[in-house]
Amino acid sequence: MTRAALAALGVVAALVVCTRIAAADPDADAQAAFNAAVARDDIAALEELGAARPITRWSDDAWAEAARLSIKTGDLARARRALEQVIAIGTDAQLVRRARGDLARIKGFTGDAGEWTQVAIEHERLLAQLPQGGDPRATLAQLEQLARAHPGYPRAPMLMVAIAAAWERAGEGDRAIAWLREAETVATTRADQLHVAAELVRTLIRSGALATAENELAQLSRDAGPGLVNSLRKMLDRAKLRRTARYVCWGILAVIAALAAFSLRRAAGSWRAALRRLARPPFEALFLLPLGGVLIAFALTGNALIARTVILIVGFGLATSWISGAILEGSAPVRLSRAALHASLAVVAILAAVYIAVDQGHVIDFVIETWRRGHERG
Amino acid sequence: MRAFWATALGLGCGLAGCGSDGGGGDPEEFVDSGGTLAIEGCGYSLTTRLGAEAPKRSGDKLGPDPTPRLVHLGFMGDPRTSIVAQWRTADETTTVTKMRYAAGENLAPEALTETVIGVRFRYNSTGTDLFHMHQAHACNLQPGTTYSYQVGADDHWSPVYTFTTAPDVEANPDTEVVLGYLGDSRGGYDVWMQLAAQVQTRTPDLILFSGDAVTIGLTQYEWEEFLGVAEPLLATTPLVIAHGNHEANAVNFYSQFALPGDQENFGFDYGFAHVFVANDSPDNPSELTVDIPMAMDADFTAHASARWKMLMHHRPMYSSGSRHGSATDLQAAWGPVVDKHQLDLVLNGHEHQFEMSKPIRNNEVQATNADGTVYIVAGGAGAPLYGFDTPGFWSEYTESTHSAAVIRVRRDQLTFEAFRTDGTMLPAGFTKTKP
Repeated sequence: MTRAALAALGVVAALVVCTRIAAADPDADAQAAFNAAVARDDIAALEELGAARPITRWSDDAWAEAARLSIKTGDLARARRALEQVIAIGTDAQLVRRARGDLARIKGFTGDAGEWTQVAIEHERLLAQLPQGGDPRATLAQLEQLARAHPGYPRAPMLMVAIAAAWERAGEGDRAIAWLREAETVATTRADQLHVAAELVRTLIRSGALATAENELAQLSRDAGPGLVNSLRKMLDRAKLRRTARYVCWGILAVIAALAAFSLRRAAGSWRAALRRLARPPFEALFLLPLGGVLIAFALTGNALIARTVILIVGFGLATSWISGAILEGSAPVRLSRAALHASLAVVAILAAVYIAVDQGHVIDFVIETWRRGHERG
Repeated sequence: MRAFWATALGLGCGLAGCGSDGGGGDPEEFVDSGGTLAIEGCGYSLTTRLGAEAPKRSGDKLGPDPTPRLVHLGFMGDPRTSIVAQWRTADETTTVTKMRYAAGENLAPEALTETVIGVRFRYNSTGTDLFHMHQAHACNLQPGTTYSYQVGADDHWSPVYTFTTAPDVEANPDTEVVLGYLGDSRGGYDVWMQLAAQVQTRTPDLILFSGDAVTIGLTQYEWEEFLGVAEPLLATTPLVIAHGNHEANAVNFYSQFALPGDQENFGFDYGFAHVFVANDSPDNPSELTVDIPMAMDADFTAHASARWKMLMHHRPMYSSGSRHGSATDLQAAWGPVVDKHQLDLVLNGHEHQFEMSKPIRNNEVQATNADGTVYIVAGGAGAPLYGFDTPGFWSEYTESTHSAAVIRVRRDQLTFEAFRTDGTMLPAGFTKTKP
């Protein structure tokens, strides 16, 4: 090979290399690397891509994704560093704005100098642990300890609201209310104060402390808008009405039960004989038993709350028919007026019992909603 | 007949700008039969419904207190190039409707050099009160650009707010858009306020609200609270709201939200996402089985090449909630469209809780989210929380909590994250990727 040929070959090789370099698209390569790293949730690869120079279109995106994944994994300090890089690169105005927002949010959780970082991480971890079913007490104890130890934590009011909600779900309304009172003392922003006060009213209503709820609502009305106040007012008025209705129903049941007891005693001749009559299932009860069984079996295939209500209603119905049957057992044909009175009292007792049953678990709300809006199309 | 002529006159004056206030004399007669007005320079028309008067161009009357309030954004045209600012005034008599704006963030009022003369109309829901809605339609904007703006009238302007138009994804393949998503705030405006603030810290480009903002759609004070407590978010981020059963097709709903199409069933592109919004409580329920699924099918067929496809409506097709459960009528009528177009996400509310499904196709759970649609119920923006039945076969995660979510959409990735009122994350997020 001559020198000229070698030189020509060298020139061609150099041209090929230059063409390759020129054809390489750093943005396309960066995009591929970005997609691969995101698919693997690989924070380190994203940081490496973000830090690589020269800067590509994807450098700030890589830092932004690194920050998102760091927040997700609870590494808030790493997230802050990544967000600062997005701002430093500054080529995408919307991404920069979003990074500033994320930084502000993290600072809101962790404090300006990151002094609450560990508390924030623990807060997230424990809330994620808080089981929706099962016994939450162990986790709640840890959350309570966290809240008590760090009353200055920026999210303390909302942490206390979460603790209260969990205690209420666990059936400890008084403890829930105590935590909401505690939250009131540490809430400083208007949004937090409003939310804590409204949650307190709701919890008081649900726990039946209606007079206290009334007082709290009167105080809240000074700061809150009419939409919130009216919604709480409706909730409170409804609770009062239902409480009255519940008392009336229990009263009716008590009176009818007393009347039934005396009627049974008179029909049987003595209390002992009355008890003997009650020990044998009357025909009416035997008739109702399979029907009730079928109703309960159907109910159990659907909504658990409705099923409990159906069981209660069938139980009340069975008891009423049992007592009614025992009273009428072996008696001579009765006058029409007495039969009508007997039947009317049985119907009233059943209606009162049905109200008490649907009032349990707020099934009555379902009934009212269905009445007003028709059944679900689904 | 009186209503017909008055509407025709109102429309004619609106288009021609006749009269001193562009819409007739003063006091103006209120005729509630609705109407249509072409929006100059935007290429679309604004139609108001029965219960509202025909839209008119801005007048020149200043009432006793023309201070703008309840400022919120929407869009009717292409969100890359247009925006609609909407507001009311402290009085209900001001007819001047103006917006001034300029490209740039947090500009001083003097720097807002562009002016839009807006449109206005009144509506009446119950009683005799008339509510005066003002709208300014800014069109021919630049994609992916932040603008500062104010609304109101001379010497009576709102604070300066900013908004950012939707990006042009052709020019910016690395674009990420963040869609805030929540629903069912009705009654619980303290929670809605908390969640709106939480969503705002995530700097969303758009808010998707899956319905039931208020308890009774005709109750204006509820709408005012909904819009009022979230004004910092809604004055800076456009809102797309689906009609929920509690909105009850009230004129208040249709009057206060500028939305594309007929405001009930419409699709739009935002970044790499294509979203179809549907009304699953229409006035005529027969539309659920024919008209709406047909419109949905046609829209997704026309946008078959969209990278990410989503459907937002109110009643969930899949829900383990104890209150309403799955809307099996929608499953039957709309499910086949969702499956046919292989939607990525279906966003719902109605059940006041959070639930995320496994990927579903043909009513069966799929192995990966590449093969199925994920159905989300995020109906916990303030309404009283509901409980759960035993989770259905579809259910991936359930939590009875007040919550909101953000959906981050890039060309090749979609990330879903949900969070509670205190900002803590729900352990129910996912990332879906596409080659």
